[in-house]
Amino acid sequence: MSATKNNKTGNRLVVRALRFLVSVRLTIVTLSLIAATSIVGSLVPQGASREEYLSRYSEKAYHFIKLFGLDDAYHSPWFYLLLGVFALNLLLCTLQRLRRLTGPAERHTGDLSGLVSAGFGFVTSPLNKGEVIRRIGPSYKRVRISERIELFEKGRLSRWGVVIIHTSVLLVLAGGLIGNMAGFKAYLVLRPGDEASAAMSRKPGQSAVVLGFRVRCTGFRVTLYPSGQPKEYASDIEILDDKGNVLKRGRIRVNEPLSYRGIYFYQSSYGRTNIYTFTGEGRTFELAEGEAARDAKVPFMVVRHADDVHGLGPGVMVAYMDPDGARALWFLEKVEKMRSHTLKGSRVSLVKIGGLYHTGLEVSRDPGVPAVLSGFVLMLAGLYINFFTAHRRIYVAGGPDTLVVAGTASRNREAFRKEIERLGGGIA
Amino acid sequence: MITDHTLLGLATIIYFALFFFHILYFVWKRQALLAAVQYTLYAAAAVQAAGILMRWALSYRLGIGHAPLSNYYESLIFFSWSVSVFLIGIRKRRLYPIVTFIASGISLVLMAYASLSPGVERGIQPLIPALQSNWLHIHVITCFLGYAAFTISFICGALYFFGPNGTIPARENLEDMNYRSIIIGFSMLTSGILTGAVWAHFAWGSYWSWDPKETWSLITWIIYAVVLHLRLAGGLKGRRIAVLSIIGFASVIMTYFGVNFFLAGLHSYAT
Repeated sequence: MSATKNNKTGNRLVVRALRFLVSVRLTIVTLSLIAATSIVGSLVPQGASREEYLSRYSEKAYHFIKLFGLDDAYHSPWFYLLLGVFALNLLLCTLQRLRRLTGPAERHTGDLSGLVSAGFGFVTSPLNKGEVIRRIGPSYKRVRISERIELFEKGRLSRWGVVIIHTSVLLVLAGGLIGNMAGFKAYLVLRPGDEASAAMSRKPGQSAVVLGFRVRCTGFRVTLYPSGQPKEYASDIEILDDKGNVLKRGRIRVNEPLSYRGIYFYQSSYGRTNIYTFTGEGRTFELAEGEAARDAKVPFMVVRHADDVHGLGPGVMVAYMDPDGARALWFLEKVEKMRSHTLKGSRVSLVKIGGLYHTGLEVSRDPGVPAVLSGFVLMLAGLYINFFTAHRRIYVAGGPDTLVVAGTASRNREAFRKEIERLGGGIA
Repeated sequence: MITDHTLLGLATIIYFALFFFHILYFVWKRQALLAAVQYTLYAAAAVQAAGILMRWALSYRLGIGHAPLSNYYESLIFFSWSVSVFLIGIRKRRLYPIVTFIASGISLVLMAYASLSPGVERGIQPLIPALQSNWLHIHVITCFLGYAAFTISFICGALYFFGPNGTIPARENLEDMNYRSIIIGFSMLTSGILTGAVWAHFAWGSYWSWDPKETWSLITWIIYAVVLHLRLAGGLKGRRIAVLSIIGFASVIMTYFGVNFFLAGLHSYAT
């Protein structure tokens, strides 16, 4: 006895839980919470360092941010939980709607005389049936429901609008999940001539992504507007296998990525590294900032570049060790007297300041993209079908001495009322 | 010489006239003035369109040819034009003078701000590489038509609390127009977000990066999605829908203006 009772309450609980999970109320609550999280995420800087947060917020606020993962709000566990609940809710709503759409109540005619009195129908003589059908026109599909009732309908697809939109949202979410689990986002910095077989991951705590092939930059080119802003920049890239055979070759521009085996390379940035050429004691040294000429007679290091030193043009600061400690000197490219210095008796001259471009490539693999893109197409189609087409039904019910013509429209009822008026013009 | 600035200045003056004709209509209620309002609206939109096209042509003469949809100044002008285009698209019997009055006032303010504010760069600037894409046109056009539709929705929502009287139409008419505007705005905003995502996929290597502009457009999208669900599935009507359409518009304002001024991100060229 008590077992069945428990069973009953259990069933009731399941029913209630299900009812809650398919409710529009839950949709609205989860959507609002997702929006609220997004607001917080857009106001609190994401992925910044401890120091950056402490310079903006108090110690307490920082702990709060950390506790709730607000420094990476869009990847925090509870944001995923929200998205999960939202997806489940959407899925169940959609299934429920699907069942209703394909259910048996579909062809129910409803209350025709009620429609007539509401202005969506009229009564005429059975002799006018041919004329009414002619006026309804060929855009409506004719279905015989029973001996005496015929249905004319169009825009049936409109009833599927909501299901299509909801499915598309699920598809986009699924694509996002796939990309998150099976994809990666990384970057590469290459100078012309450089080669790489792994990219630096953008995920904190994950260092490198092995590509499975080699990427070589064979050239980089930037063109500027007269104002000095970049107009276009592009990298020439080769994809090589282990033995050095070229598998693919191409130019990557902004907005024009290159793909190989599902991995996309995007032109995302570029920069310039200055290279300083020095001579000393008959030898030539080519150094970048921070590099040292260790095997010079007096070893020295390039410390710092300046585009303009006291109005005398570009210069570079060089440091070397003296018995008294570290010493620093400026070499100026454009000033004859300042191009050479004597470091502890050894003469060193700056020959030129040259530059080498490096290209910054975004490297990503996202197997979720096809699902996301098809979700986009489906979403736009669904919005059009749902909001800009209407399901219109006109019933023509013949009796022994009257003919009832009445119909319903899923939207834009005013226009439909006009259509019914037109059908009945002169015969109603 | 006639430049884009001449034509856009002229459009601003016509918007001012439009605003003024409305006031005359409210005072005298003559049908002739209503006709004048209608034709002035056409004239304003046409001259503004000519100004936009002229600017487009001029950018080619400067050797940096691109559609004038790329910086803050150009977006303000396009926003104002979109509002007028939306008004012209509404069927006449649904178009209430009080709505066109406020809308033309908004267009006028946008134009005046664009042409007079010292903080707005008005020159034709070269296009940075990321913006050199055909997705630019469809993305910006859909977004701004969406913003324009939400502007009309906001006007209807706000008027809901002041009428009805001789100038403000009945509440159910306002609500009907509000709902229609939200449907169009929502569809356009969705198209704008999706085209933006596809573009970002090709330009930045990721269709969604939680950039502040993206995030706020999602917030706006969610607000209007909630409004549609409350109305269509929850049967919510009246005052609450009006309040929600005002909140939705506040989010539109944040998406368009707020993000540029308060939050840094990938879309910061739009300031």
